[in-house]
Amino acid sequence: MFNTIKSKITLISITMFFALSIILTGFTYIYYKNSKTALIWSYYYKVKHFVQNINNEIISIEDNTKDMALIGNFYYEFGKDKLIAENSVAKLFSNYPNSLGGGIWYEPYLINSNKRLSCIYAFRNNDNQVVIDEAFESEEYDYLNQIWYKSIMPKVESGKIVAWSVPYYENQGSNTLMVTAGSGIYDNNKNLIGISTVDWEVTSIVKAVSEIKPTKNSFVLIADIDNNFILVSTDKYLDNSNLIGKTLDNIPWYKDNLKNVTYFTYHHTKYIPYFNTLDNGMVIIVNVPKWELFKGVVISVLGLFIAFTLICLIIVYLLYRMLDNNIQNPIDKLMTLARKISNGETDTTIVVEKPEEFAELAKTIDTMAEDIKLKTKESTRINSELSIAKRIQESSLPNTLNPFPNRKEFDIFASMNPAKEVGGDFYDFYFIDNNKFMFLVADVSGKGVPAALFMMTVKTMINNLSQLNYSPKELIEIINKKICKNNDQGFFVTMLAGIINTETGEISYINCGHNPPLIKTKNGKYEYLKMDSNIVLGAFADAQFNIYNTKLNSGDILFTYTDGITEATNKNQEMYGENRLQNCLNNCNENSPIEISKYIKNDISKFTEDIAQSDDLTMLIFKFNDKSLSYEYKIEATHENYKSYYNWLNDCCQKMDLSEILTNKIGMCAEEIFANIMFYAYPDKKGFLETTIISNEDAVILEFSDTGLPYNPLEKSDPDITLPPEERPLGGLGIFMVKAMAKNITYLRQDEHNILTVEITKEF
Amino acid sequence: MQIEIKFLGIDGMYVKTVGRLDLDTAVEYGTKIKDAVEDNNIKELVLDFTEITFISSFGLKIILELFNNMKAINGKLKLKGVSEQIQNTFKMVGFDKFLDIE
Repeated sequence: MFNTIKSKITLISITMFFALSIILTGFTYIYYKNSKTALIWSYYYKVKHFVQNINNEIISIEDNTKDMALIGNFYYEFGKDKLIAENSVAKLFSNYPNSLGGGIWYEPYLINSNKRLSCIYAFRNNDNQVVIDEAFESEEYDYLNQIWYKSIMPKVESGKIVAWSVPYYENQGSNTLMVTAGSGIYDNNKNLIGISTVDWEVTSIVKAVSEIKPTKNSFVLIADIDNNFILVSTDKYLDNSNLIGKTLDNIPWYKDNLKNVTYFTYHHTKYIPYFNTLDNGMVIIVNVPKWELFKGVVISVLGLFIAFTLICLIIVYLLYRMLDNNIQNPIDKLMTLARKISNGETDTTIVVEKPEEFAELAKTIDTMAEDIKLKTKESTRINSELSIAKRIQESSLPNTLNPFPNRKEFDIFASMNPAKEVGGDFYDFYFIDNNKFMFLVADVSGKGVPAALFMMTVKTMINNLSQLNYSPKELIEIINKKICKNNDQGFFVTMLAGIINTETGEISYINCGHNPPLIKTKNGKYEYLKMDSNIVLGAFADAQFNIYNTKLNSGDILFTYTDGITEATNKNQEMYGENRLQNCLNNCNENSPIEISKYIKNDISKFTEDIAQSDDLTMLIFKFNDKSLSYEYKIEATHENYKSYYNWLNDCCQKMDLSEILTNKIGMCAEEIFANIMFYAYPDKKGFLETTIISNEDAVILEFSDTGLPYNPLEKSDPDITLPPEERPLGGLGIFMVKAMAKNITYLRQDEHNILTVEITKEF
Repeated sequence: MQIEIKFLGIDGMYVKTVGRLDLDTAVEYGTKIKDAVEDNNIKELVLDFTEITFISSFGLKIILELFNNMKAINGKLKLKGVSEQIQNTFKMVGFDKFLDIE
């Protein structure tokens, strides 16, 4: 199925399509990968930028805290002037608008040995004014036991410059969630004397953090890993309103959020975590949903892929069309042209302009068509010459339909069906004198025109020679010599020939390498005629020939033929053969040569079925007749027909070998009856007369039958033949004569027929 | 059939015929001779039968007619070269009694 150009073009196109698709898919995949990597990095920097903002905030808070600690140092070391300290704290604090409050807190009894708690704390009141509230020094508040103090102090003690408290709720009225950054206050001898703090409201952090939204569903975690607390989380699945006391273990995805993790799945969504460490040691992790990150890339890559596929399809389709136009279409055109030429339409031309190879081919085919036209003309001429030759050959063979109408002592029928237009078989028959009848069947070696030409020569030569009164033996020897002499091509001829005395049935026959003939004698069976075959004619000029003599009896049938019959072959390569021929003849109930010939031909064509005839089929059938015969004749009883009527009658008498006197008697009787029927049976109209003449050993019987008016000529009275001539009536003589000549005469009216039977004796 | 007519002397006529004298030819034969006899006042008519092979009752009828015609004008009818067969036919119908056959 892939042997046609069309299928190959299709195959190439499909292959091209897949190849291009694979290449483009490869490019697309690399682009996709690179785009993803670029995206991941671009978000990395984006996140870094957000984180940097937070970090800056934290740094500024931490710096604030450190500055606050310096105020604490001054207050402690230089005069303990509370007013100056309070102003400094308020001033410093007011410089930092994002902060809720800030202050300095001393260890017990350090500022005032009578007072355990001592601090300066500034914050913004509801009117957004910075105020100092001494309530924070009260024993009720007891800052030393506040959670922020307790969580910061140990870290500062352990050497940390700035430490962060866990988130906590402010319990002095505002009740906000906050975290506090703290720094140690040292005396000049570097002894820790307290801490400075800056408070940071968590909601404001959350606000800042929630701006870290590289994509819509990203979420953020800020945590202090070292101290295992969460500062902020924007995970919508977590309760962010109460993170106090929650550790990192409370976050289900936390472990997936550590450094070096690429992806994690949370609530059926894949996330990419961006892990960042802040300057204060906290971490801020931004989780970006993978799909949201890559959505753009995926869509653009998909679009690109579809576009590429379409482009591939278009390219391949154009390629296919180009090949189809340049190869398949010219081929189709040329095929149509070739078909038309083979149908004989040699005038057809087809214009193929490109590609040039096909244009060249079309020109070549046109030239070929021209050549074919010429050759066809030539072969038409040869064919018509051959069919003329066929007619010439046919007409050279004697006419077989009633060739001798006057000779009833025998019947003959012959036929020759050439395998090609003309053949090498032939038959011939003719009288070489009054009652010597010669017939022959022959086969020239080879077929077609050469054999036919040779056959014509041989046939003419035999015909000429046989008229020259040679004896059969001399005749055949001369024929052989002549054939040898004029035979440059090495032809030879097989022949079966006979000369019959048609009076006696004596026959001289000869077989020169030919198929043995069959004869049907009185026993009713066909037998092969036994004889030794002579050498073929044309082999040796001085060959000797044996002549056989026998006698045909009345009713005997001689069947002669050529090997085209016995060697007729069927599809199983079986030959018709002599046995089949003999059986077929014996199964044939026909006695007339023409019917026998039809029967045999029919049997042969049944045997060979559709297989073409390979050799000429020739047969010649001769039947020797009984002399005692009957003839019938039906004719309209009219004046005009009388001449043909008596001609027929004369022929019959001749065939039956009747004497002249008897013939005249018969003629007189028949004429009288003919006239009577004409005048009396059919007085007003024309009608038929049917006459049968039968000759047996001692009499001739004439039977006249007509369908006219009832008329019995015997009822007429006889004329008086003794009267003198002038008294004699002119009619009535005829029937009188009939009565006088006939031995027996009867009239019968039967089935609307007048039947008159006249028997005339053969005795004188 | 061929009919050949020759005139002899003043009133003689000689007719030679080749062929059959039958239904087909007898009427033509008779008419030709009768016309010639009438036109030429023939008194002596000779019919040559040498080449006549066959005579039927129609031929006989014509011969009888010609005989009676000649007799009526006091003429003569002679038949020449009649074959044995035809003579037998004449005998059969009693024509031999009055016909002058050479």
